[in-house]
This record gives sequence, C-alpha cells and structure tokens, in this order.
Amino acid sequence: MTRSALAVALSLLCTLPAPALAHKVIASVFPSGSAIEGELGFSNGDMAAGQEVLVLGPDGGELGRVTTDADGFFLFTPTEPVAHRFRADLGAGHVADVTMQAAEVAHLLGLAPGASTPDAPPPGDSGTPGALSSAQQAEIATLLRDELRPLRREIAAYREKNDLQSILGGIGYIFGLFGLSFYIAARRRLKKDS
Amino acid sequence: MHIVDGALSNPVVIGGAMMAVAGIGMGLRRLDLERIPAAGVLSASFFVASLIHVPIGPSSVHLILNGLAGLVLGWAAFPALFVGLLLQAVFFGFGGLTVLGINTLNIALPAVLAWLLVGPMIPRGSPLAGAIWGGLGGALAIAGTTAMVALSLALSGDEFLPAARLVFVAHVPIMIIEGLLTGFAVLLARKVKPDLFTLSRGIPA
Repeated sequence: MTRSALAVALSLLCTLPAPALAHKVIASVFPSGSAIEGELGFSNGDMAAGQEVLVLGPDGGELGRVTTDADGFFLFTPTEPVAHRFRADLGAGHVADVTMQAAEVAHLLGLAPGASTPDAPPPGDSGTPGALSSAQQAEIATLLRDELRPLRREIAAYREKNDLQSILGGIGYIFGLFGLSFYIAARRRLKKDS
Repeated sequence: MHIVDGALSNPVVIGGAMMAVAGIGMGLRRLDLERIPAAGVLSASFFVASLIHVPIGPSSVHLILNGLAGLVLGWAAFPALFVGLLLQAVFFGFGGLTVLGINTLNIALPAVLAWLLVGPMIPRGSPLAGAIWGGLGGALAIAGTTAMVALSLALSGDEFLPAARLVFVAHVPIMIIEGLLTGFAVLLARKVKPDLFTLSRGIPA
C-alpha cells in the first residue's frame, strides 16, 4: 500500500516538473483550411499535450474551448469573422496568449473576396486551379500543410535560438553600464577628495 | 523562474515593481566604487547563466545563480540582477518588461535574505566550511525564489499550495546544482581572493 503510494508520488514528481522547468512559452496560430490551427509548447522543445485553450472574442467573451493533442496542436473552427484570442494557462507563471486578426478569420471563412485556403498555391500562378475539383484542392491543401508543418516548427524553433551576437551584445551592455556607473562613482569620489 | 507578461494581476505587478524600486535604491546606495566591478561580473554571469541548460530526465533546467550574486554583493544584488533581467527580457524574451519589477523582487530578495542568513559565516573558519555555508546559501536563494514565485501566483488567484509545490518540486534539481556551484565558487574565492566576502560587510546591514 505504502509502496504503491510512493510509486504514485514518484511518478508525479517525474511528470509534474516538466512544464514548470521550461522558461518560455511558444504559441502560434495559423489558418488551416476552414479552421484555425494552433501550436502550444515550450522553447526547449516540449509540447503542451492535453492543455485546455480558451478561445475568446474581441469583447472578452468566450467563443469556445479546445484541448491540444499529444503534439501540442489544437484545431478550432471559427463561426464568426471576428478577432480570435487564444489563451492558455500552462501553470507556474506560464501563460500563452495569441490572437488571430479579424481579417484573417474572415478570409478563412471565405467571406473575403478571392478566398481560398491560404496554404494552397495562389490562383493564376500555374493557371490550373480552376481545372481542379474542390476535393482535389482540399487534398492538395492538406498535403501542403502536412509538408509545411515541420518547416514551420523549425522556423519557430530557430526564432527562439539565441545566437552568439545577442549574448555578446547583452554582456557588452552590462559591462558598458557598470563601466558608466564606475565612472560616475569615481568622479563623485574625486570631487569629495579634492 | 521568469514570470511572463499577463500571468499576474495588476496589483501584484505594481506592488512588486514598487518593492523592486525600493530594493534597487537600497542596493545603489550601498554599491560603492570597490564593489562595482564585482557587481558587473555577477550581473553578466546571471545574464548568461539562464542560457546554460542542465539536462535532467526528459527536460532541462537552466541555472539562475542569484545566490552567488547575493552572497558577494549583499543589497547591491538588486541592481545587478535587475540589469541582468532587463537584458534577458530585451534580448531573449525571458519574462517581460511589465513584470520586470516583480521578477527582480522574486530573484533578488531571496538572494539578499541568503546573504543576511549565511553571509556572516562565509569569511569565517576554513575555506571548506565557508564553501559549505555558501552552498547552503545558494540552495536557499533558489528555494526562496520558488516560494516568492508561488506567492506572486497565489496573490494573482492561483491556489498557493499546489502552485508552490509545483514550482518548488520543479526546482529541487536546480537547488542541488546551484548549491554545489555556489559552494565551489565560494571555495575558489576564499582561496584566491579572501577579501571578496568581507568587502560586502564593509557597511553593516
């Protein structure tokens, strides 16, 4: 009995810390067919699985709730062409907050002129989209999305990468700032001495 | 460890900022000429430490090093850590600008408390004894920071105990690592530059 309790406590210990250890939340939303697809995770590569995401309208009213899948993805089908705000509390001070603008949602719902799935090739580029049936178009769009997803994730990860320049830049600022305060303190002391 | 923009309620953010300003003012008054270089180096170490990831199990944690800054600088840890946090927010997007005050308070206040508690023990006795006290101070500062983070979340509406437990448990490994690191840093400093820790005692707290 106590042993099983201990095992439960230990497994809790192992599973609980994961989200709290990471330090930066990554959240993004993008159009996906007629739905809004989003991604939720941490900058160290952990994705937020089974996380509830609150969907809010521009007036702060709740439009719905979605839950992320095992890879941190969620799908929300909008019904109104208003700005959609996605908010998730990942615990321990980690809050994700992303908004998709009204124009983009309207485009998604097919309300804007010339609406097609944004991921599909723009019409006129190849001259053939008119010849494709809508089922084919949808299939191409899905294929493209699947192909682009790893790329998108890679770009998101790349954006989070801290390169040497910014590290050195930050250290430079620190030394400059403390050098300046050193100068001021030294001047003050010289004035006092003279 | 870094609370992000929008996670806390406004009174907590404003209160934290005011207390941080008071702490920074206190620190700046005690930041005399002799201690400015040490403050700069510790500020830079704190800035970079957050990029050093220690893999633990499936995840990783990053160093904080606030205990070491507190033990060497005393109250002057406030301005030093504030500068580090500001640049982390600007360059890396850790935390945020509106929560800068509360983050400074959460990280610097435990560092000062660790200095008040174990600081007097460090220059005394053998270097090894000093190092053990230093390690204790390093771990204590992290524990204090987790409690402060949990408290800020609790004041913003989270339940205190679950939040505190979550943050505390998550940081047990980093407490051990920082304790060891701070201990070794103190050991080295006691051997090569023993006056580093008596310097911050120049003005009685």
